Amino acid sequence: MINRVTQQTIQRNTLANLQTNLGRMADLQARMSSGKTITKPSDDPTATGRTMAMRADQAAAAQASRNADDGIAWLGTTDNAMQASITALRRVRDLTVQASSSGSVGAASREAIATEIDGIRDQLLDLANTNIQGRAVFAGTTGDGVAFDDASSATPYAWHGTAGATVARRLSPDATVRVDSDGVAAFGQGATSVFALLDKISADLRSTPEVTGRLGEIDTKLNGMLSQVANVGIRYKQVTDAQSLIAAKIQDTTSSISGIEDIDLAETIMELKMQEVAYQGALGAGARVLQPTLMDFLR
Amino acid sequence: MSTFSGLSTALSSLNAQRQALQVSGQNIANANTVGYTRQRADLQSVDATSVPSLFSTPLGPGNGVASVGIARLGDDFLDARVRNQTSQASYNSANATTFNRLESVVAEPGDTGVAAGLQQFWAAWEDVSNAPDSGATRTALIGKAATLTHQIADTYRAYQGQWDQARTEATALVSQVNSAASSIADLNNQIRGVLVSGGSANELIDKRSELITQLSGLVGASSRAMPDGTVNVMVAGNPLVSGDRAQAIQVDGAYAMSPAIQEPPTVTNVVHLTWSSTGTPLVLDGGSLAGTLTSLQPGSYGGPIANAISKINDLATSVANAVNAIHSGGKTLAAPPSDTGVAFFTLAAGVPAAIGLSVAITDPNMVAAANTANGALDGSIADQISQLREGNSSPDAGWRNFVVDLGVTSEAATRKANVSETSRSVAENLQRSNASVDVDEEMTNMLSFQRAYEGAARVLTAIDQMLDTLINRTGLVGR
Repeated sequence: MINRVTQQTIQRNTLANLQTNLGRMADLQARMSSGKTITKPSDDPTATGRTMAMRADQAAAAQASRNADDGIAWLGTTDNAMQASITALRRVRDLTVQASSSGSVGAASREAIATEIDGIRDQLLDLANTNIQGRAVFAGTTGDGVAFDDASSATPYAWHGTAGATVARRLSPDATVRVDSDGVAAFGQGATSVFALLDKISADLRSTPEVTGRLGEIDTKLNGMLSQVANVGIRYKQVTDAQSLIAAKIQDTTSSISGIEDIDLAETIMELKMQEVAYQGALGAGARVLQPTLMDFLR
Repeated sequence: MSTFSGLSTALSSLNAQRQALQVSGQNIANANTVGYTRQRADLQSVDATSVPSLFSTPLGPGNGVASVGIARLGDDFLDARVRNQTSQASYNSANATTFNRLESVVAEPGDTGVAAGLQQFWAAWEDVSNAPDSGATRTALIGKAATLTHQIADTYRAYQGQWDQARTEATALVSQVNSAASSIADLNNQIRGVLVSGGSANELIDKRSELITQLSGLVGASSRAMPDGTVNVMVAGNPLVSGDRAQAIQVDGAYAMSPAIQEPPTVTNVVHLTWSSTGTPLVLDGGSLAGTLTSLQPGSYGGPIANAISKINDLATSVANAVNAIHSGGKTLAAPPSDTGVAFFTLAAGVPAAIGLSVAITDPNMVAAANTANGALDGSIADQISQLREGNSSPDAGWRNFVVDLGVTSEAATRKANVSETSRSVAENLQRSNASVDVDEEMTNMLSFQRAYEGAARVLTAIDQMLDTLINRTGLVGR
């Protein structure tokens, strides 16, 4: 069917085409000024689903990164305390060896050694009660602020923690890492604790029996501490590894989200330019077609 | 043959050409009038007078020209096509508008939507798990939870607002339909009167045609022409206008959203149309009113707003239930016996879940972060709650699915609206190209009418001079 063409149809068509062109211009303009290709779900439903999932991943990773930083602080503090404890216990071993060289050490010297060992016991107790922001790292879930009672309490060297209760930091949806340490494994508790052992050594020194026999007990405690410090080291490594993974994940998701949501500037500018040319063309064509009528030529 | 018959022939031409010129003038005057259909004077030659006898043949030339009427150059089939397309296009456009509005409320993807609120809420639980002794993280958690409940409630209220607006629109559209229908009935009456008395009702017919197209946009009406010049307007198979009588329609059903979208739906509360006179329900098959009514339906009847409302309620319920299930098994910092079995969220009874959702606790110490078996500063319960975000059945995934689903439906609805709008504009373009005034054409017609008028005047002059020769200059020999 061949259409009859009238001024009105030309007008309407021109107007409709200009509207379409201007609509596309506005669309591109909105994309340029907001910098986003997706402003509402219907712009690209599939991409919307992907970017929403990625945003959730990103938020989880950002939180995991905070968790890891916090975990590093805990494990660092624990490690320092353990290292210092081991140094102190080694000093006790040296002193015990020195005191057991019978004949060469007089009563006064034994007393001096006993006093030093008492001091070291207090230092060890301090180290065992190391806390981070008010929380004892060797009895993670206690609210008491200390991990071990001191000698003068009703229950000497009693441990405040709960067996099996751990402080953990979440590094990913399916991985947590323990950031506190088992105080009992590291120091023992009550009568079998390293503190009680030191008390016994200092008592032995003062009452002059042989202390050589205690060396074996010291070594057992020392081995316990060494295995704990190794354990802390392994977990420290686990957290630092996770930190770099998390950092990489945050970067990945950020760039993926940007890749999905953000515009390609060069492409959009090109499109905008092309659309502008099309719009100007439509305007020009409209101006030429709409203006003349037969009247311009009849005299 | 009369001596003077030439004069009346010329006169008939003068009259006819003048009238044709006037019609051209009317056309040009209405070149930009919406709904105007071009007209043309129907000229017909007048037969020569014949002697009344058997086998008589006309003697001499004919008796000039007569204007037998003014034709309206419209095409009923093109009009019907425009109406059909308009009805579909209006329906699809109303649908697309509903989905676009639903979409604009969710603010996804972004940093301000419900998804972001959920993420911050879960992260706050992890912070509490990291530092169960810190009052600051507990307070922050309660704040984040309150923000989330507000976001959910705000989304619900926005949807409710959209429903209320659509309900008001439905009432307004129905009164537009009724007033258009009664105008058409009036016009039918006038047109019949004019046609009976032999006049030209072209302008009235244009007006009526505009109104019928308007009605097809509103309720998907179609028309059926009657022999007496009136038209019957049909909606869903029943006459909305028949002759000079119009039937009124009305919206029935609840004015408030809750009863109207309640499940299972009740006949009296669901928003629907009825004929005012009989109370019989009518189901529209097109037009923007049909689109608006669809958006008001309950979820089981495919109402998009009700569907969104149920999704946001589901979100509120699933967050509250999932968090409470774990939280009530945890231990707070408060003294026994109020240290366990504490609910984190409450869902008020008797109101929709999205509105009824609120944080049950105000005291930061009442947040149960610890496992009952472990120490007071254990964070395993808080950690467990924070992991509710994972998995395909998490509230986050539910919300994400809803948003993506909404996006897909909205995209489809918009595309459908664009396609039907294109076919509507094609149909309208065809109708316009047939019915609209072409100024060039009218100009050419004017030229020919003017020339014909001049020619007729010249014929008149010639006959006049001829008669002058006969009457005044004959028989003067020898004077």
